[in-house]
Amino acid sequence: MENGSIIQRSIARPEFGPFVLLVVELVVFWGFNHDFLSPQNISNILAFTVELGLIALAMTLLMTSGEFDLSVGSLFGFSPVLMWTLFNSGLTSLEAGFIVALLVAAFIGLVNGWFVTQLKIPSFLVTLGMLLVVRGTALFVTSGFPQRTWSAEGSWLAEALVGDFFIGPFRIYMSLFWFIAAAIALGYVLTQSRTGNWIQAAGGNPNAARARGVNVSGVKIGLFILSSIMASLAGVISSLRTSAANPNSGTGYELEVIAMVVIGGTALTGGRGTIIGTVLGILILRVMRNGIVLIGVPGLAYNIFIGAIILGMMALHSWLERRHQAGT
Amino acid sequence: MTEPLVRMENIRKHYGRVQALVDANFHVNEREIVGLLGDNGAGKSTLIKVLSGAVPLTSGDIFIRGKKVDLRSTSDAIAHGIETIYQDSALVTQLSIARNLFLGREPIKPPRFLNRMDQEAMNVVARDLLKQVGISKNIPPTTPIGSLSGGERQAVAIARAMHFDSDLIILDEPTNNLGVAETQGVLSFVRSARDSGHSCIFIAHNIHHVFQVVDRIVVMRRGKVVADDIDPKNTNVAEVERIITGMSDKEIHDAIVQGKQPQG
Repeated sequence: MENGSIIQRSIARPEFGPFVLLVVELVVFWGFNHDFLSPQNISNILAFTVELGLIALAMTLLMTSGEFDLSVGSLFGFSPVLMWTLFNSGLTSLEAGFIVALLVAAFIGLVNGWFVTQLKIPSFLVTLGMLLVVRGTALFVTSGFPQRTWSAEGSWLAEALVGDFFIGPFRIYMSLFWFIAAAIALGYVLTQSRTGNWIQAAGGNPNAARARGVNVSGVKIGLFILSSIMASLAGVISSLRTSAANPNSGTGYELEVIAMVVIGGTALTGGRGTIIGTVLGILILRVMRNGIVLIGVPGLAYNIFIGAIILGMMALHSWLERRHQAGT
Repeated sequence: MTEPLVRMENIRKHYGRVQALVDANFHVNEREIVGLLGDNGAGKSTLIKVLSGAVPLTSGDIFIRGKKVDLRSTSDAIAHGIETIYQDSALVTQLSIARNLFLGREPIKPPRFLNRMDQEAMNVVARDLLKQVGISKNIPPTTPIGSLSGGERQAVAIARAMHFDSDLIILDEPTNNLGVAETQGVLSFVRSARDSGHSCIFIAHNIHHVFQVVDRIVVMRRGKVVADDIDPKNTNVAEVERIITGMSDKEIHDAIVQGKQPQG
């Protein structure tokens, strides 16, 4: 198995399919409309990419451990609403409101993890319930209205999270650096660290992991907390960038994030995950959303393409998996 | 007489009203392979689960080298040098051989705060261990467990127990679903484990496999140990089958003729 050629080995990698798909997308969209690869459009794609991307990175680790989190979209909406409500009412500074929002998110993650690991309720049900609680709270507190957000100008928090600058013709937001840092850090955790080995074991065979003294529940609770914090951070970044805090924002993001992760090659059933694949999955969906609009396909048709990509990639991954099992 | 490695005294285990173990007494000596036999429901699995910390006992005492111990979890048992290998639940199929061998005890590269596994060291040890347990094919330690055969997986699990110096390795049905050559491979791993100073408890439905490898046979029936000093060299399979079922030759014959299942 060590003597396969480099090409054979790269084809066998789960990231290979998504990589090819991304290249095909780029070439096709560029072929239809050369503006697709213009600096302005690339800057645009990148700005949107990192916000869902941050959630997808954390979701990759959580799904590798055999769980997933449907409450991320509601936290994406709730956290900025909480931060702005605290700030607008004069209770806290913007920065303190941000810290409170992250702490509340961590607590929500802890509750999710506790229900899943201690009460043995499937994460689908627990996080579905949490989605409704969190979204409901956001709507109730705001009576459904967006919060005032215009006073963030000059705040160092806004500068650090979404400050923008130009590199040549590219407009870059600070959030891109946070995304790259998170991708490198979580990629390292998953592939190099001892914790990564435990995450994969917790998803692959929790009984075997437990029998070796691995704290499976602790690992999962930690990842639920990480997932909630990242969703909260992504919501705040999006809110600062667009100067909006709408209690409804992030609706449906949970499924798009899970789609990004599985398209990248992470197993829905746990045990196997890839951060590189997730980054590719994020780009595939974001490029698709941008590209089909740019070449003139009605935006409403977006979901048709996304659905087709998910089905196609799942077929490819299952085929590769069977080839792998057969040892060829 | 020297103190045995493990001694279990008057072990009782109730599941509600069901008495799975009734004052069972059992011991394993140093460097000994014990075959644990019994019909379905005789209490073998429960006895093993108690010893591996998987289920708590209702009453009774467990001694390791004469010292009373309290095994509340599988981690407790592992810490006391007792390693249990279940056929399907011992390994994580998605992880490599090396990562499975060190799961939960991964060596860390300095600086420690980076929590980085020393994968080269893991691979070196894994390659060495694979050679020791006699996996003849040249399998790299980075191979995922999922692409190994059943016998190779058993070998990896046994290698892990040997590497971490478990005093007692419990093998639950290690030869189930294995081919003839693979079974012989597993039996030879068990022998090499004993030769390097480990003790084993070997549980198998196939009595012939047990006879090939064990030093002593223990038979359980209805939650009790009914025979604990059978020397496989001085007996035969039919005799042991009689003890397992608790019936005479004629009773077994009659039961078969009348289409009744032997009671055990």
